[in-house]
Amino acid sequence: MNKVAKLLAALATAALCLSPMPLLAKDLTIGAIGTLSGGATDWGVATQRGVQLAIDEVNAQGGLKIGGETYTPHLIIYDDQYTGQGGATAATRLVNADHAKFIIGPIGTPPTLAALAITTPAKVLMLDDGFSPKILGPKNTYNFRISATPQEFAPAMIGWLKKNYPKTKRVAIVDPNDSVGQQVMPILLKGYKADGFDVAFTEMYDRSTKDFTPLLTRMMANKIDVLDLSSSAPAEAGLLLKQARQVGFKGVIIQIGGPSVEENLAVAGPLAEDFISFDFFNPDNPLAKKFGDAYAKKYGSTMSSWCPVMYNAAKILFEAMHRANSIDVDAVKAELPKMTGYETIFGPLHWGGKETYGIDHQLLADIVIEQVKDGKIVRRDVVSMY
Amino acid sequence: MLSLPVLAQVVVNGVNLGAIYILMALGFTMIFGIMRIVNFAHGAFAMLGGFALYFLLMDAHVPFLLALPLGALLVGAGSLLAERFVLRHLYHNELQGMIATLGLSMVMIYLAAIVFGVSQRSVPAVYSEIFFFGPLVVPMDRLVVLGIAAVTLLLFFLFMRYTKPGLAMRVAAQDLEVAEAQGINAAAHYQAAFFIASSLAALAGGLIGQLYALSPFMGATPLMKSFIVVILGGLGSIPGAALGGLLLGMAESSLTTFFGASTAQLASFGIVMLVLVLRPQGLFGHAERDS
Repeated sequence: MNKVAKLLAALATAALCLSPMPLLAKDLTIGAIGTLSGGATDWGVATQRGVQLAIDEVNAQGGLKIGGETYTPHLIIYDDQYTGQGGATAATRLVNADHAKFIIGPIGTPPTLAALAITTPAKVLMLDDGFSPKILGPKNTYNFRISATPQEFAPAMIGWLKKNYPKTKRVAIVDPNDSVGQQVMPILLKGYKADGFDVAFTEMYDRSTKDFTPLLTRMMANKIDVLDLSSSAPAEAGLLLKQARQVGFKGVIIQIGGPSVEENLAVAGPLAEDFISFDFFNPDNPLAKKFGDAYAKKYGSTMSSWCPVMYNAAKILFEAMHRANSIDVDAVKAELPKMTGYETIFGPLHWGGKETYGIDHQLLADIVIEQVKDGKIVRRDVVSMY
Repeated sequence: MLSLPVLAQVVVNGVNLGAIYILMALGFTMIFGIMRIVNFAHGAFAMLGGFALYFLLMDAHVPFLLALPLGALLVGAGSLLAERFVLRHLYHNELQGMIATLGLSMVMIYLAAIVFGVSQRSVPAVYSEIFFFGPLVVPMDRLVVLGIAAVTLLLFFLFMRYTKPGLAMRVAAQDLEVAEAQGINAAAHYQAAFFIASSLAALAGGLIGQLYALSPFMGATPLMKSFIVVILGGLGSIPGAALGGLLLGMAESSLTTFFGASTAQLASFGIVMLVLVLRPQGLFGHAERDS
């Protein structure tokens, strides 16, 4: 054996000995479903990055040590194309071809409802998000919603708006004309009316709309005090924000239907000044800060609001496996609701939803109300959903 | 709602929308008119134009009025690669050309997603002033788009109408064999036409990127609007693209303002269906003759 070969052999042996991964670690497939094509690709990338960061943490510590075994989680993610068909296809592949027992995602009602139709009968545990109330129910016991919906956060946000902008009265709500917008609009209508606001203008637009000036001209004729961008995705919300200011709207612009301050600021630039929305992510939380640093180190670019949500879901799942001391789906599923108080990047874990959905599988957390001031996002308040 | 200020704002919004649609539709209709290819990659070239402007402004610090045409020309030059390796064998072959450009579009979009990332970004506003003329509101950036669209349309019309290369392109479009018999190098003129059309798309993309937002997927809506405009105006017709763009802009502006966004969307496609039924060649198009 020549010197080079000996050196290589020695290096290989040293690498194996020093590796944090035990040699007999078993693979553990963590499935994920996210939108990896089209206008909502940001969400799928956020899912992939969030879950991968949680997996990286586990693997850096030598894997998951459960029931005398060591497991090395690895991620398989498929594109749902933000459609029901895409969600069903992705879930079918994960369940039947990859034999995944745990799935994180999708985000959004159409792919989530379709994926649930595959994962529930197969007894696959899914931690997902979508605004439809149908996603949670007493029959969907293998499903947990890992982010709050307008049903949970709208009353808190509207209450905050009333308290901090008492002179505002007439509200406009603008939503996309799809299943998400159609579900969120009635929730916000009810919430605003309950708090004494007059919803003087509602409009639903096609998802592909880029120029909102005609819609906003129509809105301006209604003498509006508050424009709520509701469930508009960043692709549209940022443009609505920018164009509302361009057509001379001087009232309050808020987004109560979903968190996306950073993305909207990126699109609207200086015209995002005074925009109000919220985030689940509180950078003052030490765990959140650690996550933010890890994200910046690995990916560097702007972080979608969904990335910490998906990271959080994966962390909760791994903790449930630890506590159950098993990777059996039923054992992990039974452990999840008992984890109240577990410290997450969003604060102490709390499951609720029994009154609204008939099952306590809805994650609840504090929300951080943010506003754009001098081109920067500043924290205005923290309000609780429970 | 039917007050004079609202009506005036409707007209201002409609003309602005129309200007953007015209810019996008010009190159699209040119490629079809000359090469007989329905270019599904037109939106992707617009997207590249948006990113070219972004990097020229942000990284190379080139002034906006120089960065915009420079970015468009760079994309136009790059498009010649697509012309050489994808489109050259598909001229006058509508079906295969359509499928090939669809594939080309997907490759370009997802390469851009890998290279530029999927998050939306904004081209910093060079013109952020907002003018108030009484009750009328006109943002400066829209006025700039209007001016650039008008100048581009005029230059393009003059080029096609009064220059020898423009005349040669029109001859090649009408009858390839006759053009070649007259000594016109059709292949070279096809390349030139593709370069011009892609540059126009990139120019429109730069303006769209600045007015709205940049993302690898930003070309889809402008492409769809281009379809509507050229169907309205007539495939291959430049005056048709101008009138079609203006009509669509005004229709969307007035219908959205008075009847809502969903009605406007429905009406856009309803008008196209009506045109296809009553006048399939569009307002300025020529009916195909059976051979």
